[in-house]
Amino acid sequence: MIRDFFYETWYLGLRTLRRFFRVPANWIGIILFPLIQLFVFSQLFKDIIQLPGFRSSGSGSYLAYLAPGQIAFTAFFAVAWSGSAILVEYRNGYMDKLRSTPIYRISILVGELAPLFIESAIMAGGILAMSVVLGATIKTGLIGAALILVLSGLFGMAWAGTSFVPALLTKSEQATGTLSLLFFPIAFMSTAFVPPALMPGWLQTVNSWNPITFLIEAIRPLMVSGYDWAAIGKALVAIAVLSVVLQSATLWSFRRLTA
Amino acid sequence: MTRPVIEVEKLTKVYPGGTRAVDGISFHVEPGELLGFLGPNGAGKTTTIRILATLLVATSGMARVAGFDVTRQAAEVRRRLGLAMQTPTLDGFATGRENIELIGRMHRVARAELKRRTDELLELMGLTLVARKLAGTYSGGMRRRLDLACALVHRPQVLILDEPTEGLDPQSRLALWEELERISYDGTTMLLTTHYMEEADRLCNRVAIIDNGRIVVDGSPGDLKAGIGADTVTLQLEAHGPEEMARQQERIRALLSGFESLDAIAPEPFGVRLAIRDAGRAIPELMRRLDRDGQAVHVIGLTVGQPSLDDVFVKYTGRRIRTEAADQPIILGW
Repeated sequence: MIRDFFYETWYLGLRTLRRFFRVPANWIGIILFPLIQLFVFSQLFKDIIQLPGFRSSGSGSYLAYLAPGQIAFTAFFAVAWSGSAILVEYRNGYMDKLRSTPIYRISILVGELAPLFIESAIMAGGILAMSVVLGATIKTGLIGAALILVLSGLFGMAWAGTSFVPALLTKSEQATGTLSLLFFPIAFMSTAFVPPALMPGWLQTVNSWNPITFLIEAIRPLMVSGYDWAAIGKALVAIAVLSVVLQSATLWSFRRLTA
Repeated sequence: MTRPVIEVEKLTKVYPGGTRAVDGISFHVEPGELLGFLGPNGAGKTTTIRILATLLVATSGMARVAGFDVTRQAAEVRRRLGLAMQTPTLDGFATGRENIELIGRMHRVARAELKRRTDELLELMGLTLVARKLAGTYSGGMRRRLDLACALVHRPQVLILDEPTEGLDPQSRLALWEELERISYDGTTMLLTTHYMEEADRLCNRVAIIDNGRIVVDGSPGDLKAGIGADTVTLQLEAHGPEEMARQQERIRALLSGFESLDAIAPEPFGVRLAIRDAGRAIPELMRRLDRDGQAVHVIGLTVGQPSLDDVFVKYTGRRIRTEAADQPIILGW
């Protein structure tokens, strides 16, 4: 039974990955915006690093401060519109074709969601590599880099719910695209650009709950200082909570759609 | 006695909103038989098929495929079912081969068998040369054939096809017909829907005419046509412009009133179409009547033919089947 589920999800997942990577526009679109931010902002705000609030972050340059945020942004972008694909296949009947085969219905959904771990991790890895090329460091070396990718992948997979739920409920690509914009402020209000010490009080409060901030603050020490297990633990808890909430909503929406 | 492969009893589907798409349909399909559902768009063909394919739950009634109930034993039904919907549903970012293999895997076709079967189907459908190309680049005819290959990969006991040749050019349609005939010949039980008369006539052992969610008549194409009990006589008329054509058609109607062999008369763009009993014997009398008024009608051609399924359809539904392309439903979200 569980073997059947894994078998189906494996092959459906491979298909999802193929569909993603065979269209270069997919990954270029995801990687381009964080790349531009990384490149432009690291130059534009070069001297901002001298402000006192940055010192505690341990970053030696604004590029070093910016990089963890842009890696998290990439994981965020990688899944911001991820619900559209399942919607297109619901609309054109491919989902019906799969549903008329003897497989678990849930395999179809997990076959779409699970590969987002790999997509997000690889996309984030691209930005991580670019940061290093531009001059950022990874103090924890290869193991730390792997840890960054795993965290980014897990976050991407969890965050995908923000796109899947509107997609499955509204059945409209336009609505899905527009609603995803609502989540952008959450990314921009995070600690990606400035440390909390430089933020107004209400934003500091927001960031003590912002899952993206937890991700960024787990990645940052891995790049600039060393393993901060407390930060990594907090990020994992945030991702787990996000997963439980968003994935149950996704599952509910999926069941509603395919009832 | 063998059991029918598809058994449907008093099947009804009422959509939320009150549309009775299927209204108490009963029929069965015997092993190896090819049943055609003939009917206009919106007659309830696709709804019936979606219920049989376990994609839609009926409001009431019973449907069994290969002996299994479509609602309570859906998994058993799916294992034995090949399905191709109205528009080919393919993964455009996968190659032809990958498309077939994925569906085969979902049906648990063993690895070695899957390879062999995929090669065989690609060959059969004439897709070997494009097997490594993305399905998104395929032409309409190639998509249809690939879709059919996907439906056949697990050697289904029952093949259900919704409008299999919709939107194909005549040449591709003919090629697909030959394919379907071969599959049927191999013993696969098939149910297909169509609104093309020639298709039903050529392919099906049995035709069920479905209209407004009901089966109005069913039988072999030959029996249905024989049941008309009249031959079709078409008269081609020479006329300058549509007004004169209409005038001549009216004139013929008047000339033939009281002609006891005449069952029906219908205007056509080129003249008139008559249903005449025992046409061979009635023709001289027909000619005499038409000649009574020397100048008014200009007959330039006369053909006597067997009735077609078109005539059968008109007889039982009182309407012509519309042959315009099927309208795709628009799914409105917000």
